[in-house]
Amino acid sequence: MSAATLTPQTGRVTGPGVSFPRTLNSEWIKFTTLRSTWVLLATTVLVMVGIGLLGGWGIASGMEQMEAAGQDPAAAGMDSSLLYLMTSGGLDFGQLIIGSLGVLLIASEYSTGMIRSTMTAVPSRLSPLFAKALVVAVVAAVVGILSSFITYFLLQPVLANYGREFGLDVENLIQSMLLSGVYLAVVALMGLALGSLLRNSAGGIVSLVVLLLVLPIVAQIIPFDWVQDGVMPYLPSNAGRQMVMLETADGDLTQWQGGLVMAAWAAVLLAGAAVTTKARDV
Amino acid sequence: MIEAQGLVKVYGNKPAVQGVSFTVQPGRVTGFLGPNGAGKSTTMRMIMGLDRPTSGDVLVNGKHYAKHRAPLREVGALLDAKAVHTSRTAYNHLRAMAATHSIPTKRVHDVIELTGLGAVAKKRVGGFSLGMGQRLGIAAALLGDPQTIILDEPVNGLDPEGVLWVRNLVKALAAEGRTVFLSSHLMSEMSLTADHLIVIGRGRIIADAPIQDILNNRAQRVRVRTDRPDVLTRALAGEGVSVEAREPELLEVSGVAARAIAETALAQQVLVYELTPLQASREEAYMDLTKDEVEYHSGPLADVHDHAGTAESGRHAAVAAGVSQEGN
Repeated sequence: MSAATLTPQTGRVTGPGVSFPRTLNSEWIKFTTLRSTWVLLATTVLVMVGIGLLGGWGIASGMEQMEAAGQDPAAAGMDSSLLYLMTSGGLDFGQLIIGSLGVLLIASEYSTGMIRSTMTAVPSRLSPLFAKALVVAVVAAVVGILSSFITYFLLQPVLANYGREFGLDVENLIQSMLLSGVYLAVVALMGLALGSLLRNSAGGIVSLVVLLLVLPIVAQIIPFDWVQDGVMPYLPSNAGRQMVMLETADGDLTQWQGGLVMAAWAAVLLAGAAVTTKARDV
Repeated sequence: MIEAQGLVKVYGNKPAVQGVSFTVQPGRVTGFLGPNGAGKSTTMRMIMGLDRPTSGDVLVNGKHYAKHRAPLREVGALLDAKAVHTSRTAYNHLRAMAATHSIPTKRVHDVIELTGLGAVAKKRVGGFSLGMGQRLGIAAALLGDPQTIILDEPVNGLDPEGVLWVRNLVKALAAEGRTVFLSSHLMSEMSLTADHLIVIGRGRIIADAPIQDILNNRAQRVRVRTDRPDVLTRALAGEGVSVEAREPELLEVSGVAARAIAETALAQQVLVYELTPLQASREEAYMDLTKDEVEYHSGPLADVHDHAGTAESGRHAAVAAGVSQEGN
């Protein structure tokens, strides 16, 4: 808007106004100036790398023992492809921390009253939500990718003891490691959306855990075919797991399909968060 | 300039604000006075676009708050002292707020100095006292050097030095031609700070006038001691006159001047041994305005004592109440 189109009353005001890049900058400052952010991010990396290493070590030593006993580890489902997956083996735990970070990022603003300062500075309301989404998604992706690569490089010396080290040229390996970052980004967005919908940290985290961990378990024990075939694969964590697979079995969701299904969950939740953010009093 | 037209806000079934219209003019301090729960904060939240009015409309500087290109540069608001993430430092909070409008870091340092937060700016807000929280809220409100300043109960929790500082600050801001709108539930504070007063009670505007008018507008009361109060009461009765018997021989009369009371007493051959015009205190003027409008009435002390036990203590309380009345 040029100054000429302003009414005389507001013409007095000079200086930059609100814009999305400035809101993004503000949200970045807010994100980086909380100690809890750094604690959660560091914990995510440590936990994901730790679980990946432990998993890789456990599988490799298990395979060695079975071979020593004259058994075929592949018959028990233990082969190299399982080792490859261990580069993102900590994803199940990492998603809970990153998801919680997403919830806390917005819910803590509601619980402390900060949201009123945020919405006063940027009264269009949706900009701060989307700026937060961008910040947390990018950070989650970086953390996921970083964790996968750290895991990969630390895992090789461990696996070398068993003669099972592998290179980055394994088919789809790098794609899987990058997509584990995307997986975390989508989980972070789901957390952010739930935190915004519920405006409550505990409620947001619990519903995220239900969505990611409890629903798949409940679905698994319901014996109807329509649940097994029509619901199970489309739950967010199950679909997301397909996305980070190196290869998918016939009849299962492909990496692309899994990723789209998971993204659809986040999109629906975020749309709900946007509608309620716009409509409800702060 | 703030223009509210028929603002209504209903939470569930509970009406918080019931058709409020007013205009807050630039160049003077406008007080927004009302008891707790009268709708002051709700009205201010609607001005800032945080609460959507159930009906009605409110404009700041000619537009809806949210429609401004640079809202922080138009309007600065302290709506509640701790609208701040408790784990962030004061400096980082202000820096994040400033970033939304590309307000330079120098201005952040300026408002920190202006509000006296220098020593605690790098400390986390969670450890702040209420007074420091207020100062941070005021710092945030001033960040964009706005034309209109809205402060909800700004002196709450401030020490005497802080109260004086806020008083001088808002007067200086108004003197610069800015619109200053501040709420309080204390008439004494308002009478020292505000030029114009909007009084709200139970979600309705009770008065909207220059503060001097509100202070002067109160019916003059006269304290009368006489040995025949019943005769005098009957003789004084008339339009606009109220006579209250405070003690067996003590009346409080309003609506009649002291001289007229003396003349009536002379005509009736009634002995009068005290005739004192009472100066209305500011708090009384306010209590008079809002006595039917407060949401939370405190019971009189005497009732409490009566419920508590003996007639003896009840009598003491009544005497005590009588004494405090004389303090008028």
